[in-house]
Amino acid sequence: MQQHTGETAMNGTEMRNKLLIPRSCITTEGNKTGSWRFLRPRYEDKTAPCAAGCPAGEDIPRIEMLTSRGLFKEAWETILRENPFPAVCGRVCFHPCEALCNRGEYDAAVAVHTLERFLADTAARCDFRSPMEPVRTREERIAVVGAGPAGLAAARFLTLLGHRSDVFEAAPEAGGVLRWGIPAYRLPGEALRQDIRRLEREGVQIFTGRRIDRAFLTDAAGTYAAVVVACGHGRGQAMAIPGETETGIVEGLDFLRGIREGKGDPCDGLTAVIGGGNTAVDAARSIVRLGGKAVILYRRRRQDMPAFQDEVRMAQEERVIIEELVAPAAALRDGEEIVLTLRRMIVSGEEHDGRGRVVPDGEKSKDLRVRRIVRAIGAGPEAAWMSPETDAAGILTLGHCRLAFPERQPAVAFVGDLITGTKSVAHAIASGKEAAIALDAFFNEGREAILPRLRDCTVGDGTALSLEILLGGERRLRSPHVVGYAEINTDHFRFAPRLTQPRLLIEERIRGFSEIDLKISAGLAMKEAERCFNCGLCNGCDNCRLYCPDVAVIREGEARRIAYDYCKGCGLCVVECPRDAMFLEEEGR
Amino acid sequence: MRRVIEGSQAVAEAVRLARVQVISAYPITPQTHIVEILSEYCEKGTLPARFLRMESEHSCLAALIGAQMMGVRTFTATSSQGLAYMHELLHWTAGARLPIVMAEVNRALAPGWNIWTDQGDSLSQRDTGWLQLYCEDAQEVLDSTLIAFRLAETVSLPVMVVLDAFYLSHTYEPVDVPAVEAVDRFLAPYAPRFRMDQTVACSFGSLVTPNDYMEMRHDMALAMEDALDELGRIEAAFAGVFGRNHGAIEAIHCQDAEIVLVTSGTITSTARLVVKALRERGERVGLLKIRLFRPFPGAQLREALKTAKKIAVIDRNCSFGAGGIFAQELKAALCNLDPCPLVYGYIAGIGGRDVTPGTIEDIYRRTQETDRPSDDGLWIGLREEAPHGR
Amino acid sequence: MDAEITEREYMHSGHVGCPGCGATIAMRFLLKALGEKTVMVVPACCWSVIAGPYPQSTLSIPVIHAAFETGGATASGVRAALDMLGDRETTVVTWAGDGGTFDIGFQSLSGAVERNENFLYVCYDNEAYMNTGIQRSSSTPYGAWTTTTPGREWKKMRKKNIVEALVAHRVPYAATANIAFPEDLLRKAQKARDIQGSRFLHIFASCPTGWRIPSEMSVKIARMAVQTNIFPLYEVEEGVRYTLNHKPRGYLVREYFRIQGRFQHLTDRDLDEIQKMVDDDWEILLKKAGERA
Repeated sequence: MQQHTGETAMNGTEMRNKLLIPRSCITTEGNKTGSWRFLRPRYEDKTAPCAAGCPAGEDIPRIEMLTSRGLFKEAWETILRENPFPAVCGRVCFHPCEALCNRGEYDAAVAVHTLERFLADTAARCDFRSPMEPVRTREERIAVVGAGPAGLAAARFLTLLGHRSDVFEAAPEAGGVLRWGIPAYRLPGEALRQDIRRLEREGVQIFTGRRIDRAFLTDAAGTYAAVVVACGHGRGQAMAIPGETETGIVEGLDFLRGIREGKGDPCDGLTAVIGGGNTAVDAARSIVRLGGKAVILYRRRRQDMPAFQDEVRMAQEERVIIEELVAPAAALRDGEEIVLTLRRMIVSGEEHDGRGRVVPDGEKSKDLRVRRIVRAIGAGPEAAWMSPETDAAGILTLGHCRLAFPERQPAVAFVGDLITGTKSVAHAIASGKEAAIALDAFFNEGREAILPRLRDCTVGDGTALSLEILLGGERRLRSPHVVGYAEINTDHFRFAPRLTQPRLLIEERIRGFSEIDLKISAGLAMKEAERCFNCGLCNGCDNCRLYCPDVAVIREGEARRIAYDYCKGCGLCVVECPRDAMFLEEEGR
Repeated sequence: MRRVIEGSQAVAEAVRLARVQVISAYPITPQTHIVEILSEYCEKGTLPARFLRMESEHSCLAALIGAQMMGVRTFTATSSQGLAYMHELLHWTAGARLPIVMAEVNRALAPGWNIWTDQGDSLSQRDTGWLQLYCEDAQEVLDSTLIAFRLAETVSLPVMVVLDAFYLSHTYEPVDVPAVEAVDRFLAPYAPRFRMDQTVACSFGSLVTPNDYMEMRHDMALAMEDALDELGRIEAAFAGVFGRNHGAIEAIHCQDAEIVLVTSGTITSTARLVVKALRERGERVGLLKIRLFRPFPGAQLREALKTAKKIAVIDRNCSFGAGGIFAQELKAALCNLDPCPLVYGYIAGIGGRDVTPGTIEDIYRRTQETDRPSDDGLWIGLREEAPHGR
Repeated sequence: MDAEITEREYMHSGHVGCPGCGATIAMRFLLKALGEKTVMVVPACCWSVIAGPYPQSTLSIPVIHAAFETGGATASGVRAALDMLGDRETTVVTWAGDGGTFDIGFQSLSGAVERNENFLYVCYDNEAYMNTGIQRSSSTPYGAWTTTTPGREWKKMRKKNIVEALVAHRVPYAATANIAFPEDLLRKAQKARDIQGSRFLHIFASCPTGWRIPSEMSVKIARMAVQTNIFPLYEVEEGVRYTLNHKPRGYLVREYFRIQGRFQHLTDRDLDEIQKMVDDDWEILLKKAGERA
């Protein structure tokens, strides 16, 4: 600009005014506004309904969170902590989690089941190794009778808890109903082998071709501190009708086993399958694949069938006929065919479990001509010693198993189909896990420690147990409060359709025993996993920090903390947390 | 260079010479010529300033507050209603210690609409913390405007340069318009004692509690006091460059006067004639021109007036219920003198009514012939009959 | 969360905003979008106090407190000065409440915008004179209680449509925004920052204290204002090009009104009337945007 000469200096150097003006240069951080607070927020992970409802107690929200981020290995490892059979369950589990899924009330439940399979497939493809490296810390050896899902689960969890387990299996291969019962189109052999191989690598010892008898329970004393009886249901229930034995009615379990052994005869003509459970449906669908026609004959109504509804629906797609409200009365061989007399039933009231109570409809009946009959009305243990007397003194009945402590003999745990109400793989796993934890508590601290130990590692408000909680993992810090839909802030989600499980076409399905459900891509898996609300589990969405009016939520790496010096307790973070992973409590508690 | 220009132009020239950087403008008679001339200067590039055509006077001052805070030299002009509208921000400007210079053309306040000269508008603002300089002629207008910038920037208080409507704003007079190089020797580029630095996280003007406010206001009072001395120094510097100054007051024949007339604005130039004529007739009369009204130059006035017997203050204004304002202020300044001259207050020229030599002589006579002044001042020049329209 | 929301904070803790204050959330987001080359003018409003009493300042940018009605005018001066000082990069932003924008500050805003002053004007709207204790402004919505519209005198004038008033000035950019839609707010603030001429943002900022709502519902209720079409999110460029940013499925306004204490006195009939007003206004907006319901 312009020159400035000395004698016209501007400033009055002897002025008294100092220019005291309201200029502010200090931040407000000196005001600890935290003193205003009468409510205090904090981070509190809670329990998701799916996790509480999963019999195996899987940490489902965490699994989906990791999957959505493409952290498939970490997600798979999260499954493994609680469930040694991801490849199996990803195919055959009846996914009670999805019925409880909070997202189901928003648009549609998350396809947890499909995602579990995806993770197992990814583990197989990329040859993930189990991160568990159990160390033997206890002297006790436990014998497990039966290498089905319950027995193997018990053995595996006992191994993780530091014990040595020996599994004795009568059949030439391990797996039990997984190997010999469930058809290959639902559970291919390779998937099962994948899970069993891993178990063995974790340290479970399986001895096949070894049949155990009742004497073992006493003879085992000295070698084994406990015996886990996991023999499952080996014997089918008879119908007790005339002509049952003479006409060569095949037991459903044997029928399925025959197919798995490779001895499946072609099944031309019409086969009647009697029963309404999974075995009946599996048999019927297998028959279709063997070239025949199948009709399921069930004494109650279709909706009363204990078989998984997905399976029933698919059976009908595959043109299995279902006849309801018929009960077999007599069977008579007539050359190549069998004449099956069926009594008509009608519904008269309800059972205590909601199923229809049925009674014969007068004398009405009809005859059905079939080539063969498969019976699958129920099953039970092969021998009496395989299941405990319910009322005997000293029996401890837990959520999923029963324990007996006979004098001077090894403790006995009864697990699996022998005990559980619902006959499912998930319940079998839950049963084995519970027995393992109970026995471990018994060995460490005695019988009185069992119930407290189980309570200690229960997920939420149900009966599922978590090994991670037991061993003091991060999950232990979570509140057992189960997050309900009303506690989800759905403002933060958009409607998104549930993925459609890609399947073989019906024509392709019935051509053979190929697996029906097809693989999904990683992209699809991540997108589906993103739909998970992650109920009760902080997934780092950062809403709390974003909306805090006082900049009082500090991020430190992956974690967040509240700057209580400044937090005024407005509660915005808690409300804007989409998944109820925070908690607002009275200050001063 | 000597030119014959109107008072409005004199203001504009001074603003140009002062290298003002931001000007805000809103029209109101009779200030409008000032901003029109400046508008042309900006358009032509004669004055490379930003010219803001604001939508009201209040906004004019608001804009300058914003601009001056950021560290540039600013200017605006207004009058009457516009000044009254700005009132809130006049307080704000001074409280923010912003050295804004404003030309204030004295004009009567409505209702009824009266565009002629009256000191009521500027004097109503005497408590706002603005310095006020009342000009007698166009030269003084130009000089005062230049001095105003330096004075304002020295003590950090805004300055109002007051000139009579039409008698000064629209009357052509010979004025020495200095060269810009000379002005540059008197007035350096604006070097703020404080500015808002756009790169520094500092806030200005936040909540201030009783704990701190009083000190800030006291600092303003000190600045006002400092202004008295600083004006002297600055005018000395001005005289050094331009060979003239005007002083906070001008005392003419006061040492031997029994009666001193006290005037401000253009009435002063009429009074000079009257006093000259009276003295030629042997009257022991003096004239005291008050140029600096804020801060009120009490000490200088006491010095100049202590020997007078009677003082006749001519106010072209009235503080209703308390009489003429110059009279009040003067009484306050003199009241502790012992002996204290009698102060006679006269109210004349309201709403542009002409103050003739006759009016002033009348005032002199009345003062001479009355033993004691009335409390609230005497209104001079009222018509006998009732106004129209009754 | 959206990775574009910068980590950097321009606001410190320790300010005296009420718990759950929407105005502080709005400021926090705005400054994340504007960045540090910003000078802010704050006329009288809640933020005059929240900004920190002398000698404290809660923001990391320079702030000039200004008289109530001078938001537009003071910013005009600040911009002029910066231009004269050779700084064309620093953003000049006025941050004013609804009182200082819709009412007493309207003249100065209109004047500045008519001159197309190169600045951003942001009005954070809590729908009343909150700083002085909840008095009605022309931004207070139809139906609301305030201390100057108590009991049966609840406000029976509709909320002034400030965006449309400015659109009539052909302002280069005007938009509504809402604290419950941070990405949208940030996008608009950044867009506005980089446009020359006058830009206007109208941000919906809930006030737990004045609306008689629990502090933790502050953001949710702001969100509902958009979801009910009471406060639509849209932009207008050059005063003619309308863009709707959000077409909600539509909550009924009932939900929104029932959970706020300031609306408790309204009857079902009143709410029906209000629903109709909201629907009518939404139709008008749709037409302007060339869209159908």
